Formats: sequence, structure tokens, C-alpha cells
Amino acid sequence: MRTRREFLTVTVVLGAAAALGPRSTGAAPKSMSVLHESSFIKAFDEFFVKKLALEYEKLTGIKINYEPVSVGSLLTRMTTVAETRSGPEVTATGFNWPWLFEQSLVDVTDLANEIGQKLGPWYDSVTDAVVINRKWKGLPWGNIGQLEVYRTDWFKEVGVTKFPDTWEELLDVGRKLKQKGHPFGFELGHGWGDNHGWLYPLLWSYGGREVDRDGKTVLLDSDETARAVDFCRRFYKETMLEDVLGWTDVNNNKAFLGEQISCTNNASSILVVAKRDFPELGRVTDHALNPQGPKGRYHLLNPQSHSIFTFAQDVNAAKAFLRWLYDDRQLSAWLVAGDAYYAPFLHAYDNHPMWNPEPRYIPYKESLKTSRLPGWPGPPSHAMSESMAKYAVVDMFAKACQGAPTKEVIAAAVLQLKQIYKAK
Amino acid sequence: MAVRPASLARPAPVAGRPFTLRGLLEREGVFSWLMLGPGVAFLLAFVAYPFFYGISLSLQDRPVTRPGVFVGLANFAALTHDAVFWQVTRNTFVYTIVTTILKLVGGMALALVMNQTFRGKNLARAFVLLPFIVPTVLSTIAWMWILDPTFSVVNWLLVHGGVITSGFSWLGNASLAMVSIIVVNTWRGVPFYGITLLAGLQTISPDLHEAAAIDGASARQRFVYVTLPILKPVVIIVTMFSVIFTFSDFQLVYALTNGGPANATNIFAIYAFNLGMLGGQLGLGAAVALSMLPALALLIVALTLYLRRD
Repeated sequence: MRTRREFLTVTVVLGAAAALGPRSTGAAPKSMSVLHESSFIKAFDEFFVKKLALEYEKLTGIKINYEPVSVGSLLTRMTTVAETRSGPEVTATGFNWPWLFEQSLVDVTDLANEIGQKLGPWYDSVTDAVVINRKWKGLPWGNIGQLEVYRTDWFKEVGVTKFPDTWEELLDVGRKLKQKGHPFGFELGHGWGDNHGWLYPLLWSYGGREVDRDGKTVLLDSDETARAVDFCRRFYKETMLEDVLGWTDVNNNKAFLGEQISCTNNASSILVVAKRDFPELGRVTDHALNPQGPKGRYHLLNPQSHSIFTFAQDVNAAKAFLRWLYDDRQLSAWLVAGDAYYAPFLHAYDNHPMWNPEPRYIPYKESLKTSRLPGWPGPPSHAMSESMAKYAVVDMFAKACQGAPTKEVIAAAVLQLKQIYKAK
Repeated sequence: MAVRPASLARPAPVAGRPFTLRGLLEREGVFSWLMLGPGVAFLLAFVAYPFFYGISLSLQDRPVTRPGVFVGLANFAALTHDAVFWQVTRNTFVYTIVTTILKLVGGMALALVMNQTFRGKNLARAFVLLPFIVPTVLSTIAWMWILDPTFSVVNWLLVHGGVITSGFSWLGNASLAMVSIIVVNTWRGVPFYGITLLAGLQTISPDLHEAAAIDGASARQRFVYVTLPILKPVVIIVTMFSVIFTFSDFQLVYALTNGGPANATNIFAIYAFNLGMLGGQLGLGAAVALSMLPALALLIVALTLYLRRD
């Protein structure tokens, strides 16, 4: 081409040809994609890619693409996929997300019933998260629990061999440990899991509630909430580092692994990493259920499920894949690869061999009975997500720890929640 | 006399001449639009469409994946009753104003130094650009370590220098957290100011400075009465860009604090993202994002008018 005009002519012609040329026909999918958050357990992701996906392709000829996204960005990616109605056919979900994306997710009740009959029954607690108007919109495979992670050697230094049963007892131990230079570190900043992970259970265990079952009546302004806030302030001041107020989800892992703190609230990822990279530390790390308060013991529910987008090219093919994936032969092996990081919601796995190699993970299974979604007892909803995104409950506690009066922080949170839940 | 480019000076095809693609491309109106087309299409697709889509979203009650319901200005009205929104607004203004001043002063100083002749000048210029070149998320992770209460090099220096007895909680303390993000933003932004102002400085003829010096002007007077007036358009443009980028900053704050502790560092982009993406309230999130518009538009119009007046 000698001139730019010739170049332009050729470009226009080729562009037009490409635009007007033959289109691919609507053939059955040769491949499907599964969207996942990268697991803290590398072997869990690898097992899917190197074993399950290949096996399924061999069996059906359908290639399964595993699309991992970085930790904390799955919800953003799901939003993009659902809004543009293009992307992976199957997605992982967490918390109350099936409610957020309800209109874009396929009803998988038939599959849930099949799986429940074979491996169930399902845990009651998980139905809150995935059953919407009696329709299952997700198939849970396991909970990422948030429990107490602590240093057994440092606890022994202050004479504690069994993890404290109540918050007050834990405060007492924490006070002694801080004096010995081993403070606690519970996230009070704007992370996502590790702050909600202990602050909602703390609130509930003192009898405080964010919203009533009707999802409209804000219940936060109560003596129970005030007691929880007062406790949190003391707990923070007497046991923790100031820095926890600015922490996000990575900080407490780093602090524990860096031997800065003696106790935190986290998933089992700390122990997994400690065993792998810091064996000495791994030997003196243990887990315990959250302490109980005057009104019981609670944990946060974060069920990991698989859902199918309604715009999947072939919904039946996606269902067939999930049916195969949730067959005991596949699911069982995958959970084992996950090193018990995910506590399954099917009772057939209550005594699964996955729990045998490392008994320190067993509290994560036990916590399922007392696990609730954020915002409980209110129904899962968009408002619940908005409340979490605005850190209404987290910041109520954080402001109290910064020194604001209890009444003031509760009033501010109530005002915020009334707007979120559109309460009168 | 202005000389037109040869290609544009060619006569239009004569009427009656047979229609050809080449003939069509010879026409100035057609050809210029063909050249402009890709750029205009790009702007329409990636600037205009998202902008107007954002406005449309902000006027709807629009939970994610659900059809929107037009609510007029209800989202904006709701924000006026949201205490966090006002805190976010204050934070954004403080963050933008303080960092802009610091970056302007620092950038000017940097440019003046870089404009001198010294050994290793080119290498120094290349190094100065590093904070601007390194991806923000990467450099922010380095800052996370620098600001860590235990591993912080700043704390280590202060403690070992005998200035303090125990380290500061740079990101846990509400006031220090704001100071920290301002420092990091300034560190990242100073090279942008420095290099841009340096480019401006190099357009100033040394003769002007020499003439002023002969007339007895001191270094300060030469800077105030010679350098600054000539540099003013560049200063205004670079400030305008910087304010826009800082006002809508996201990565740095997201990686360091995500708006914590207790919203002490929460700014517009973070709040809009959290509401829209994590809270699933796309309408409300868009309304927060659009709340930046009046202040930025006012600034751009004011600075542009000021430039034109001069």
C-alpha cells in the first residue's frame, strides 16, 4: 500500500467483510466456565483444574474453564457478569449473594433435592442463604467459618490451657497477655470477612439484633446492644493493638504469622499457612469456637455455593455439570483436597475422613450449628448487603473503641440502618 | 500567509465524474470525518456512554440485576440525610486540597532543582518518575509495610532516634490514617507535577532571567515576576488534572484502608464502589459518584475561564 488512502480503503473493506461475514451457528457449547474466588487452599483450585475439569472433559467432551478471581473481588466480577449478561455459566457465591442476584440465577431445586436425598439432609442454617421463595438458587459446598485462632504456648504462659468459654473470660486472658507483650488483634476496620466475622457474633451473643424478622423494624437500639458495645470498647482497650481499627482482612493474618498477636478471629487459613511456611508456629496455633455471651454463642455464616446464570448458553449442560460435581465421588475428593477449609452443609459429611488428619479444624464443623448470616434474624436482602457495605455495625463498634459514647454510636448506627431498611 | 496542506488543497471531484471510493475519500468532509471517526467513537463508547449511563442510574432505584425504577432525585435526597456521605465529602475535600498544595509546592521545588545543570541530571530525572510509573497497587503494598505498626521503618527510625518510645499506629488512628494517605498520594503525585512543570520551565528563555538579573532583580523576584507568570498556564493545567485524579482517587485508599478506620479515610470513589458493587445498590452508588461532578465541573470551568482571560 503506497498511500494512506489505500490503507484506509483496504481497512474499511476488510472491516466490512468481517462484520458482514458468516456468523457461527448456535451449536451446543463445547466448553463452560466456572467463576470462583481463588481459594486460600491452593490444592483446592488445583484439584479442580487438574483433576475434575479434565475428568469431565474426558467424560463428556465439554471443556471446563476455571476462572479464579482474587480474594475479595468475586462480588464485583459477579456484578459485571450479571449486568452485562455475558461471561461464565456457573459462579461461586458467598454470604447472601444468591439473594442479590436472584433474578439472574437458575432455579436448581431439583438438583438440591437430589443431592439432599443422597448426601443430606442439608443443614437448616444454609437454606436461609440459598433458598429464595422456596427455590434453591445455589448449591452450597461448604462454609468458610470465622473462629478464634490463638497461640497455645502464649496462652499457657498465663496459665490457660483451654480456650475461654465466655467473652468476659477471654477479656481477662487478653488483659494478661497484653501485659506480657502478646496483645490480641481482632479486625475493626473496613475489611470484609474478619470484621463482620466476630462483631456480628459478639452483638448476637449479648442479645443485640440489627433488624427484626420482618426486615424493616430496626432493633439495634437496645440495652443488649449497649452491653455489647461497652464490652467491645473494654476488649479493644485492654487486649488489643490500636492498629486493629485500620485493619483490613489481610492484616490479622499477617500480624498472627508475624507473631505480633496471640489471638484473632479468622478462617483456618492462618493455620494452613503456618503449617506450610512456619511449622514452629503451626505447632502452637489452635482454633476454638467463638466465646459465648449472656445470650448464647454465635458464628458468622459464609456459605460457598455454586449457581448457574440464567443467560448461560445451555442451562441443562450447566446443571448436568453440577449434578456430576456434587456426586459424592467428586465432591468428597474435592473437599479433601480443600484440607477441611470448607465445612460442608451435608450431614453425610459430618464424619467424613476429611476431618481426621487435622482435628484442629473440627471446630469449624461444629460452628455450623450456631452460624447465622449477617443481619440475622432479618431476612437476607439487598438492604442487608447495603448495611454490610456501609459497615453500619462494624463502625458502631469501631467508633466506640475510638472513644465515642455508647449512646452516640448506637444512635448513629440506628439512623443509618433506618435509612437502609426504609424503616418508619 | 497560511499554507494549506497539499492534500486538503486538492479540488473537489467534478460533478458528473463517475463515483469511486477513491473519489469519495478525496472529499475533505468525508476524509476528515473518517479520520475523526475512531476517536469520536472511542469517546462516545468509553466516556460519553458510561457518563450518561451513570446519570441514568443515579436517577433510579436500581438494585443489581433488577430493573430500575425511576425515582428522580431521591437517591441524592437520601444522601443528604446520610451522615457517612457528609463525612466522605469532608474527607475528599481535605484529601484533595492538602495533597494538591503539597504536590504543587513539592513539584515546583523538584522542577526548579531538575532545571539546574548538574552531573547525573538525566538519571535523577528518570528516578524521580519512579513513584509515578510503578503501579499504584504495588507501591501501596510497599507503603503498607512502611506504615505497619511493628515493621514500619518510620516507627523504627523514630523510636531508635529517641523521638518516641513506641510506634505510631499510622493506619489505625483516625487522624494519622488521613495523614498517611495524604503522604502516600503526595509521594505518588509529586513527579507528575515535577516533570510537567519542568517542561514548562524549559520553555522559558534564559535571556529573560538574564535581563531581569541585569536590572537588579533578586532570585526570588526573578521567580515571582518572570518564572511564575510564564509558568502559570502550565500550573493551572497540571493542577486541574491533579485535582480531578485526586478527587476521584480509588486504588491507593482502597488498598491501604478501604475507607477505615470508621470512615476516617472514606472518600467518594470508595464509598460509591462499596455501595454499588458490594451493597448491590447501583443507583445509590452512581449518585455518590456523580456527587463529585459539581465541584469538579466548577473547578474546570473556573480555571478554564481564568486561562482564557489571560
